Amino acid sequence: MKRSGWQWPVISALLILMSVAKAATRPQYGGTLHVTMRANPSSLDPAEISEYIGGRNVIVLLFDTLVTTDASGRVQGALAESWQMSPPDQRMQVRLRQNIKFQDGSPLTAEIAAGSLRRGNPGWNVTVAGDVVSIESGVSAPELLQELALPRNAIAKRDSGSSIIGTGPFHVADWQAGKELTLTANEDYWGGRPFLDQIEIEMGRSFRDQMNALESGRANLVEVAPEQMHRIGTQRYELLYSSPLELVVLKFAGEAASAQQKSVRDALRFSVERHSMHTVLLQGAGQTSASLLPTWMSGYAFVFSSEADLARARQLRDQVPGVPTLTMGYDKNDPMARLLAERIALNAKDAGLWVQLNPNTTDFRLLRIPLTSSNPRIALETLNNQLGLPPIRSKSQSIEDLFSAEQTALASGRVIPLFHLPLAYASTVSLRDWVVMPDGSLDLAQAWLKSQQP
Amino acid sequence: MQRAIYNSTIPKLILKSMHRALGLARTLRCGGFALCCLIAVTSLSALSADWNAAEQQLAHKIAAVTGPGAATLVVQNRSSLGRRDTDIVQNGLQSALAQAGVRLVNSEQAAASIALSLSENESSYVWVAEIRQGTADAAVVMVSVPRPAPTARAPDSMPMTLRKTLLWTGHDRIFDVAILEGSESPARIAVLSAENISFYRMVAGKWQAQQTLAINHAQAWPVDLRGKLLWTKDHSLEAYLPGVICRGAAMGSITLNCRESDDPWPLAATVNPSTGNGNALLTGFFASRRNFFTGVISPSIGKFSTVPKFYSAAFVPRDKYTLWLFAGMDGNVHMIDGIRDQTSAIEWGSDIATVRTACGAGWQVLAPAASTQKDDSVRAYEFPDRDPVAVSATVDLPGTLSELWTESSGDTAIAIVKNRETGNYEAFRLAMACN
Repeated sequence: MKRSGWQWPVISALLILMSVAKAATRPQYGGTLHVTMRANPSSLDPAEISEYIGGRNVIVLLFDTLVTTDASGRVQGALAESWQMSPPDQRMQVRLRQNIKFQDGSPLTAEIAAGSLRRGNPGWNVTVAGDVVSIESGVSAPELLQELALPRNAIAKRDSGSSIIGTGPFHVADWQAGKELTLTANEDYWGGRPFLDQIEIEMGRSFRDQMNALESGRANLVEVAPEQMHRIGTQRYELLYSSPLELVVLKFAGEAASAQQKSVRDALRFSVERHSMHTVLLQGAGQTSASLLPTWMSGYAFVFSSEADLARARQLRDQVPGVPTLTMGYDKNDPMARLLAERIALNAKDAGLWVQLNPNTTDFRLLRIPLTSSNPRIALETLNNQLGLPPIRSKSQSIEDLFSAEQTALASGRVIPLFHLPLAYASTVSLRDWVVMPDGSLDLAQAWLKSQQP
Repeated sequence: MQRAIYNSTIPKLILKSMHRALGLARTLRCGGFALCCLIAVTSLSALSADWNAAEQQLAHKIAAVTGPGAATLVVQNRSSLGRRDTDIVQNGLQSALAQAGVRLVNSEQAAASIALSLSENESSYVWVAEIRQGTADAAVVMVSVPRPAPTARAPDSMPMTLRKTLLWTGHDRIFDVAILEGSESPARIAVLSAENISFYRMVAGKWQAQQTLAINHAQAWPVDLRGKLLWTKDHSLEAYLPGVICRGAAMGSITLNCRESDDPWPLAATVNPSTGNGNALLTGFFASRRNFFTGVISPSIGKFSTVPKFYSAAFVPRDKYTLWLFAGMDGNVHMIDGIRDQTSAIEWGSDIATVRTACGAGWQVLAPAASTQKDDSVRAYEFPDRDPVAVSATVDLPGTLSELWTESSGDTAIAIVKNRETGNYEAFRLAMACN
């Protein structure tokens, strides 16, 4: 038995820190934090940008949710002062914290909070009585509280125009959609004025551009490609990364139309050499995986074998006469996606399948999808929704039902999971007290910049 | 064959702590040995009892697939469970399987093979049995067992010894503790938190809550909130928070009056460094929406009525003057004697405090020690001249130091620490002892 190359922490993140002795220092106010990210959102609406990690990182700076989950996964009150779940886990009553104001100075009301929740959750019946918001899911939803902590449920005030305002620690000073976002500290933030004066976020930057920005001093905080983590960890930067929670997956356009098409997909599944790709291309980062949820989240992922079986792949392919050439898509702005796609095409060729790479038109596509929550049930439910997989039927909390739901999703033949990768960030050592949350998003609420000593 | 994928182990589980406890007990050669064993075995038995239910549940699920008959069992530990615990679970499951009618035999005689993986996720142990019968695909059954919460870990020739004594621990964030009665053995204390001051009396070795008084404030507190308690000789209690000062008498029925105020906070001890008596020596104005002192002080130190913005202050009495030390926001320690502001890049961090003792020069400065460890530590220093000399070994704290204040008596200090493992806030009294 071989131990995998990375020893992943089950806690949300691990710090690789240069070994410099330092004494306890209080946070300092002031300074502008320069951040880069790959995502290039065209909107700041939580309901629209919460599915990708860059979007989530922006949401938490501008908006608040009713509750939050801490690094240990425990629920804490945020805009909600208290809450109560009524049996049978279908109705929740949330009492709002008093005297909360939006960044334009207007008060947060239960009506606004309810409207915001309705927009992100059309299936919920959200009503208001005084300062209490009642949420009815219609079905048993034991994870309703955790769902309220998701960024997509951040409370936003939408004006009749296109403006959208939050109650968060920063407000928008300048916004060039998809390119640059400048945020300024909210002096009257209910949770206390943040330490940073300003955050400037450059969007749509490749991993390579971001690394150049960090090394040249143009950025304090950047995203790091998983395969670059080894290199960064040896340099004078701080590297923080999540548990492996970005799913790399092959997604077919639709259901297999015939038994033969199912056999071709299975042949492709058995042909993929995940372990060599993991070692060579990904430099050992993350984990190979044949499941939708990573082991640290489910505890059973090893049951789904991620081993290649070329003989089985060939056998399945031979059952199908005249297999057409398959087209495979990938994100053309992601160099790693291209490398993985090329290797998958080579593996397929060994099994007698012809796969042509085409970033645009495809039979199946290589996707990278960050899981939305460290709660396995919420993560799987959202993932199934994103991938067009069957919804989870059972509402019980048992591990066996979760396993069964995942088994059903995989049996649909619409996806082939490949890896779970960590979400990693690097900062200059001047940036202190920043945190990677269990869902891989950044928490800059307590972050501060240490001033340069003379 | 499946390739093994190891789960990340989840460190510092209670089981490991118990093993350490057992290991420690083995080294003892006294009556405590039996007690340690009893506690540890009792705890282990309690956990085993919990596992027993899961073992029974899993055995029934397995038996429902295989039916009564012969089977092989292979156990693989993919979790943070140690070998001893793995053996306990394996033995328990074997017994439960036998009760369910599943006879464990060699592979040649078996009609079914059971591959049991002891795995885990963030909240539970997950035990997965893959059952193979003939050429059919494996049937998978599993159970989950809640994992115990992590417990606190055990912590690690100078002229003096710096000792820490735990005074208070609680989940809510606290900023200072004042000892109201019983100097050596505190009998009554006041605890300052963000929203109230709570009073406790020691009863039968435990703090018993007496009264909690709310701190009224209109503005939101700063993110890095700070606060200080002062217990004066006339038995009145003062609480200083950014932009708010509260005063109350702590004898009998306590009342507290809080008001918005920019009045300066007392810096360092209330005793005169020359005589050991007297009241406040120096006060400093605190930035009401920040976490630092503005640098405006009263009275002046020689020609200095303002000093660089600072987080905390300490002093070293000299024959003819007092050397004041300010932990500046610029990361430097500013040493001000009334004539000069000498900057020193001592790696001291933000919180410093002076204590008056019967050891050495009679005055020591306590400061966080530079460390590569995750947890903070504190050390005592003296100033024979302008450079600090360490006079004690470091005292390790169980987490991050958030406040360090000289006590009102002037001879000890209070360190507030956020325990890294439990998340609790703890107040320690730091006292010097002469070697």
